[in-house]
Amino acid sequence: MSKQSSRTSLALSAIVTLALIASGACAHAAVRTSDLWWMPEVASKGGKDIDQLTYFIYYLTGGVFVLTQVVYVYFLIKYRSRKGIRATYSHGNNRLELVWTAIPTAIFIGLWGYSNHLWWDVLHAPSPPDTMEVGVLAYQFGFSFQYPGADGNLGQSDVKLIGNNNPFGNDPNDTATKDNFQSGILELPINKPVRVRLNSRDVIHAFYVPQFRVYQDIVPGRTIDWLWFTPTQLGSYQLACNQLCGSGHYNMKAQIEVVSQEDFDKWYKEKSAAAITAAGNTPARSK
Amino acid sequence: MSQTIAHPEASEVESSHGHHAELSFFRKYIWSEDHKMIALQYLFASMFFLLVGGLLAMGVRYQLAFPGVPVPIIGSFLPSWLVTSNGAFQPGGYNALFTMHATVMVFLVIMPFLIGVFGNFLIPLKIGAPDMAFPFFNALSFWLFLFSGFILLSSFFAPTGFPASGWTSYAPLSSHAQYNGTQLGQSCWCVGLFVNGLASIAGAANYITTIINMRAPGMKMFRLPLPIWALFITAFLLLLAVPVLSAAAAMLFCDLNFGTSFFSASNYGQPLLWQHLFWFFGHPEVYIMILPAMGLVSEIISVNSRKPIFGYKAMVFAMVAIGVLGFIVWGHHMFVSGMNLLLSATFSFSTMVIAVPSAIKTFNWMGTVWGGSIKYTTAMCFALAFVSMFVIGGLSGIFMAATPVDLFIHHTYFIVAHIHYVLFGGSLFGVFGAIYFWYPKMFGRMMNETWGKIHFVLAFIFFNCTFYPMHNLGLNGMMRRIADPTQYDHLRSQQPVNVFITLSAFALGLSTIPFLINFFYSMFRGEKAPMNPWKSTTLEWTVPWPAPHGNFETVPTIYHGPYEYSVPGMEEDYLPQNQPAPDTVRLAAH
Repeated sequence: MSKQSSRTSLALSAIVTLALIASGACAHAAVRTSDLWWMPEVASKGGKDIDQLTYFIYYLTGGVFVLTQVVYVYFLIKYRSRKGIRATYSHGNNRLELVWTAIPTAIFIGLWGYSNHLWWDVLHAPSPPDTMEVGVLAYQFGFSFQYPGADGNLGQSDVKLIGNNNPFGNDPNDTATKDNFQSGILELPINKPVRVRLNSRDVIHAFYVPQFRVYQDIVPGRTIDWLWFTPTQLGSYQLACNQLCGSGHYNMKAQIEVVSQEDFDKWYKEKSAAAITAAGNTPARSK
Repeated sequence: MSQTIAHPEASEVESSHGHHAELSFFRKYIWSEDHKMIALQYLFASMFFLLVGGLLAMGVRYQLAFPGVPVPIIGSFLPSWLVTSNGAFQPGGYNALFTMHATVMVFLVIMPFLIGVFGNFLIPLKIGAPDMAFPFFNALSFWLFLFSGFILLSSFFAPTGFPASGWTSYAPLSSHAQYNGTQLGQSCWCVGLFVNGLASIAGAANYITTIINMRAPGMKMFRLPLPIWALFITAFLLLLAVPVLSAAAAMLFCDLNFGTSFFSASNYGQPLLWQHLFWFFGHPEVYIMILPAMGLVSEIISVNSRKPIFGYKAMVFAMVAIGVLGFIVWGHHMFVSGMNLLLSATFSFSTMVIAVPSAIKTFNWMGTVWGGSIKYTTAMCFALAFVSMFVIGGLSGIFMAATPVDLFIHHTYFIVAHIHYVLFGGSLFGVFGAIYFWYPKMFGRMMNETWGKIHFVLAFIFFNCTFYPMHNLGLNGMMRRIADPTQYDHLRSQQPVNVFITLSAFALGLSTIPFLINFFYSMFRGEKAPMNPWKSTTLEWTVPWPAPHGNFETVPTIYHGPYEYSVPGMEEDYLPQNQPAPDTVRLAAH
């Protein structure tokens, strides 16, 4: 490669790299001004870490893309067929093969380490002791929710007990289930970890909230109880089913309200009391 | 090994050739056992199905941009399971549209294009064989394939219409009529895929046998052209993966019709079993749909760069690695399915590892154009675009391979963008390039280059306008498979993007018109093709058109590897595989 052309290619790659960085910065800015082109603002604790990884991969792959394409397009222009110039006769270069095998391998394994560490942190780590547990039932085509009631304990449930009279499959022998109350919306206090106990009555549905950066399939015949997150932004969100579940799938959603702890306590108390009145008995206390 | 294999005597070939001239119309064009005619049958059938799949895609895009708006002109003629009384798509009908779009494109377009057309056409011609090992099987394979297509599409006329549970048909939605509402359609889907699987298995067994046993003298394995290597590895993937799908489809059929409960949530059934079986097939399937395209593209790039392929053996080993690793990555479709979280970590690792051979291939393609003397034919343009589009599709895959990011973008439009970059910008661009490249040997005439370039430019621009913004939609949280995005607060602001994508998609659909006109016009009026229009080194360019049944007048002998271009010391810049190098010339080892 001549000196002139290597300088040109360097300048080219510099320009494109700058453009990429600038577009990334615009994207960051776009989060605040308009959400037409980028992720919705993150509204959960773990979501922030996920975004960090997403940005990391974005810049990594963006850099790789720009570098390879600049070199590629440069080759395509420089080595176009011209009269009197014959192609180089080469079957390859083993040292190069080794280099471009080793470097991607190292990058990919490193990336796996980072991503897997986060996977464990976000999803698999035990939730804090003050976590609130909420039951979620998905069905064709809607969601309903169950809160632990006055005792703060959702109690035992079994997927085999799910039926019309017992939508959440609560264990009738467990007194902790007696004061549970149901809700059509998912009301959550801000900055408090919540764990969802996911059940489906018919087909596979999903628990998907893009602002919280969470997705989990809800599988009939089993209970999935490892998904937890901490909302960090007040506001209304929509819980969406994101697993094709039939003709009404496109409209299977539920309202999520993230409110202050005070508002939540008030709402919780009212709902709890109403449920007890409706059931016509006093709540059975379990410590 | 190849020297000792059974190879019909030249006289035998000629006698069958002589016999061939008296074949009836039926034996020549309908039940043909000539691999070249079968390839053309596959070609016309796949093009028909491409139009069907494309029209279904137009329906999908129409609904996403204009939900609830009656379909102009044809709306009132569509059946009631698809549209409401005023002619707008119903949500359930929309589900049927995308289900069949994907099923048709995967099983009736991309696979038969790559494997049926180019596998059949190129394998015997490129290895110096008179035909496939089992010509009867080969013909049977085509007719089974065609039959499977009609079974799949026949449910259009059923009262409940097409299946509507996605091309992945997750149970128990797919396995219970009360949930999916289309028992007949879903049953047709099971039977269609089962029959389609038989066609694939018959084809794969044929390809493997042919490549192992029928290579011409001197055609050692490491002298095989890369498309043949790719098809060879693909045939193994087919043979190992497709039976799993066939079994799963049969089980699903029983669940649906006979009350078994393999996949139901009760009676000891297991919904996730379907996903494991489906993706155990489904992930090798992804490579089944890209490996042959990689092989075809490698050859087009080498020929048009007038350079040997860079790192021939690295290319072969990378494809073998993809083939092997392809069987242990299926769980990356299931990170958030309810599968054990430790398994997700494992599958994430294997998925990261499988990205390495893809990277190796990309670097080798770049190495091939480096120092070349590039001729920008239409075929070359598509092949070069393949590389860039595959890079985008590969890099976007890394986002989903990282489990925490998948937690966010799983089942969003990000994945829709990803698969279309790999399957359209990748596989289908490879198919277009290969059609322009091998057309002269198929029909004896050249396709028009100007119209080819127009097709390429339009397809390239509108492909990117259609699919690139889908990444943004996905990051914005747009779910895939929803009939009406405006139902969601966070998606309403995205609707202009959806409209833009739809208009681009319509333009992309229209961009195939110059291709189709060029294709059919050139068949009759195109410039007559010389024997070797691209000055290529491989054996198919040494036979005249029309090649006789039996292909080669005398059995060729092979003296060296497939890509000897621009060898120093030679006047011509290519050295065909059946010509020994002059004594004055030393070929470099590859």
